[in-house]
Amino acid sequence: MSGGSLNRITTIARNTFLEALRQKFINVLVILAVALILSANFFRQFDFGSSELKFITDFGMGSILFFGSILSIVATAQLFFSEIENRTALTILAKPVYRWEFIAGKYLGIFALLTVFTMLMIGLLAGMLSWREGALMERYPDDFAEGRLVSYGGLFAYGVLELLRFGIIAAITMFIASFSNTNLYTVIVSFFVFVICQLQYVARDGWNDIGNPLLRGMVWVMALLFPNFQMFNVAELMIFPGEQTLAAASAWGIFGYGIVYIIAFNALAVLAFRGREI
Amino acid sequence: MPLIKAKDNWWWRRARVFGLSALSLFVLGLALSPVERPIWDEVKATQPELNLREVEGALGQGLVIGLIGGFRAIIADFLFIKTNTYWENKDRPNTEAMLNLVTAVDPRPMFFWLNGARMMAYDMPAWEAQEMGGYANLPPAVEKNLKARYAELGMNFIDKAGSFHPNDYRVPLEKAQISINRLEDPAQAAKYYKEVVAMPDSPYYADRIYAEMLKRSGHQQEAYDYLRALYPTLPRDNAMAATNVVLERIRELEDELDLPPIQRLPTQDTEVRPAFTAPSENNGFNLGGSQSKEKTNVGPSYGLPTQDFPQESDSEHDHHDHEHDEHSH
Repeated sequence: MSGGSLNRITTIARNTFLEALRQKFINVLVILAVALILSANFFRQFDFGSSELKFITDFGMGSILFFGSILSIVATAQLFFSEIENRTALTILAKPVYRWEFIAGKYLGIFALLTVFTMLMIGLLAGMLSWREGALMERYPDDFAEGRLVSYGGLFAYGVLELLRFGIIAAITMFIASFSNTNLYTVIVSFFVFVICQLQYVARDGWNDIGNPLLRGMVWVMALLFPNFQMFNVAELMIFPGEQTLAAASAWGIFGYGIVYIIAFNALAVLAFRGREI
Repeated sequence: MPLIKAKDNWWWRRARVFGLSALSLFVLGLALSPVERPIWDEVKATQPELNLREVEGALGQGLVIGLIGGFRAIIADFLFIKTNTYWENKDRPNTEAMLNLVTAVDPRPMFFWLNGARMMAYDMPAWEAQEMGGYANLPPAVEKNLKARYAELGMNFIDKAGSFHPNDYRVPLEKAQISINRLEDPAQAAKYYKEVVAMPDSPYYADRIYAEMLKRSGHQQEAYDYLRALYPTLPRDNAMAATNVVLERIRELEDELDLPPIQRLPTQDTEVRPAFTAPSENNGFNLGGSQSKEKTNVGPSYGLPTQDFPQESDSEHDHHDHEHDEHSH
């Protein structure tokens, strides 16, 4: 990649990121996510079974996943189609900008937005957990004889894995946007693909038990076509490393898995966008 | 003509992109499989809540669970509140369906499993009995059948908790309690108590009730051997271990088994009576007198009344008002 190419990608990424920050919908989404994390302490009243810290973590990570997924899909679709609908894509691509540079720049801008969102949420959750853990340590010092229960390093490491999950969702949306004609179609299809990826493990674990060979083959193919998003559900293992912990090699494996799928879907987006009439 | 050609090209281009994309993703999935498989196995093994096969039969649940993702805890809590409204209305089908849904959404808290099993085993038969005019108007065989049916339902329910909490003693403990309180089957209760006492962190009272269940099912010698082996291992400074109660039961069993002095546990420092008393002085196992204080010391009640736990007194259980069998939550 030449220096000029890098400059062009950086410029597109920066503009995409700044445009994202100006969008009201995205701001509202972030505010809602922040509000939900901060209200975790209130929702604790409805907790029946989990310990307080685990409940706050569950609730906080749930908020991050929920709003992060929406943000990944909607922001990617909106920011991509805004260029097409406003005809600015024509202006950009009329200049010496390759289509792959346009896709890469757009994606990096969105990934920067997702990074800010994820780290902001993780930071808030860490603050919330630290505050509650401190209060519990004062009240029940015996339960914390061996030190803090929450691994804050693990929390931020998990934040990186969660960011990669959002990165894959954004890359999938970018791929769908690269050949679809409308924003709405892209958003709906991306949500369906997201659900499939969330449930992919059912097919992956269950195809072997299916009797019908044709159906079995289909399920097997389907399981291989989509990434397994449940691989990223390791919050409890990383944040509460008590009896069970995630091996460092596995954490790195999940990291690599995320990176490979991000590159793959972006490459497919470039492939589809190359033949697209704008 | 050119328009048709252009359309053909468009379809061809699109099909080519789709085909190539699908093929690339398939090859990528295949290539990543050897790396993904061991990691996924590790993640899955440490997250039993992901094993949702048992609820796949319920329409749409898998999809819901997949969608809600990280909001499992709070959604399960709200669903449990909804379950309680059905429970208050004594709505059997909906209570059962909701309990299955709650535990499918979040199988981690034992609270859901324990309360669900108790609702099924203790409350539901009472509701059905009420619909039929109350336990008092039911023939004993019908009552027994009713209790057995719902006991099995509760046992099957708590059994599912075992796959998510394999090392939690409360799973076999609940089955043991249902066995004795609902089925009045001490042999089956003893079988489950045996599992309880073998588990880490099992409470001291489980050891005593295990021996009691052995005794009630006619295995006095086995009960005696168990208590003899247990007694020296109990901490003297822990009130929950109730060493005096264990010693008392050992003595009672020695009398009941009519053991010669040489085979009996030597007199302990805490004892005021000799190790051997004539069998005529103590006929059988006294479950009333000194055992009653044991009831205040039967361990954690999980916020439930102690009558939900196996009573060590036959008399109390036998005279329990069946119409008020329901436990509170």
